[in-house]
Amino acid sequence: MLLDKAAHAARDLSYKGIFMYQSGTNSRSIEITHMNAGQGEYSRIVMLDGLPQELLSQGSDIVIFSPRNEKVVIEKRRGKNLFPALLPVNLELVKASYKAKVTGQERVAGREGVIVLLEPRDDYRYGYRLLTDKEFGLLLKATTLNQQSEVIEQIAFNQLNLLNMSDMEWFKPHVDPGKPYVMEEEVPAGLAESPQDWNLEQLPPGYRQIDHIKRMVPGKKTAVNQLIFSDGLSSVSLFIEPLVKGARPKVGQTTVGPTNFYANVNHGHQIVVVGEVPQATVAQIANSVHFK
Amino acid sequence: MKDQISALIDDEISLQEAEYLYTALKAEGESRECWMTYHLIGDAMRGSPTFKQDLRKRIMQQIDAEPAVLAPRNAKPALEPVKSSRLWSVAASVAAVMFVGMIVLQQQPQQAEDILPMEIAQSLPAEYLQAHQSVVPSSAAYYIQSAAYTERAK
Repeated sequence: MLLDKAAHAARDLSYKGIFMYQSGTNSRSIEITHMNAGQGEYSRIVMLDGLPQELLSQGSDIVIFSPRNEKVVIEKRRGKNLFPALLPVNLELVKASYKAKVTGQERVAGREGVIVLLEPRDDYRYGYRLLTDKEFGLLLKATTLNQQSEVIEQIAFNQLNLLNMSDMEWFKPHVDPGKPYVMEEEVPAGLAESPQDWNLEQLPPGYRQIDHIKRMVPGKKTAVNQLIFSDGLSSVSLFIEPLVKGARPKVGQTTVGPTNFYANVNHGHQIVVVGEVPQATVAQIANSVHFK
Repeated sequence: MKDQISALIDDEISLQEAEYLYTALKAEGESRECWMTYHLIGDAMRGSPTFKQDLRKRIMQQIDAEPAVLAPRNAKPALEPVKSSRLWSVAASVAAVMFVGMIVLQQQPQQAEDILPMEIAQSLPAEYLQAHQSVVPSSAAYYIQSAAYTERAK
């Protein structure tokens, strides 16, 4: 119930605030303006730390503007569950993999919130501690906890105002319109036609494939298959590409901050799995790839 | 007005309405910067179906018809509006290819002589992390992705 309200509040309300993302020593303040006056979602997200960057989104279309000295780099992305819209509207997957319980109250960014703990039902995912606004349901804070209940990621509002607005004056990037803009290259047509000679067996429980894209990975000359899996909250990317002659295959596993990596070679293909999930999950996803 | 422009860029309203909008826009004396930024968003969001290209071309033609107000600062006055807009997109593609090329060069791992497998614990496959973070629909990593990307793109 609280989760449903949180999922809808983040998409249906209009609000403006500043939140902070933290993971280990990495932290970053971000300003968000989100509007939904009944005509769909519009948001503008501005990185306040480091090099300037802005995201403008309309529905699930996201455009990223990165002003540089001489130009503005523009990238196009798709995204749905960006904080505070962390929870999907359809909570079936989440409920199947996590047990929700209300554990208390906390005050954040001047708002009273209710703590909802999402405990993983197995070892294939981390736990989440969510703080939802008592009055409006909006997610105020989300903490990812590993199996030892240590915080591995946290994202929380420092400042939040609910708005009642309908003008679009704010919905534009603050970039110099005189600078040339450069679109990020998309996958050239024709590359996406190689036949798929593998399939997936025995994915970790609760994970479903939610996307399959062919993309150019920086440093690679050919397109790479990227499959994305989610259990409703956490996400994992599986990369499959033919091993190029002379290239050193990557193998093994490692953990960097909240992210686990697993790599192996299978039937002359390089498999790499990356995700903010436990090691067992990335390993099992890599091993679920079977060549015909 | 603004959300109508936005809808126009998103092709949610018909061409007829679009032309009305454009006229209304001129009457309201919207600034060139405003148009430019909407085009930045629109260009980035728009796909490439023919109808959409046509819409863009028509808008561009109308813009070119008013160089004093709407022509990009650095562009020479366009004699042939359609060609001019095509040149623009060609230039943008070339620049984009060059940009990607630069990243490829910068990130080309040092090719080892031997073909021994490489432990990822020793050499983090950062390009995969970046690719993962740039598309996963989960929230948190998305914001860090920007950081990684920015450092790379420098």
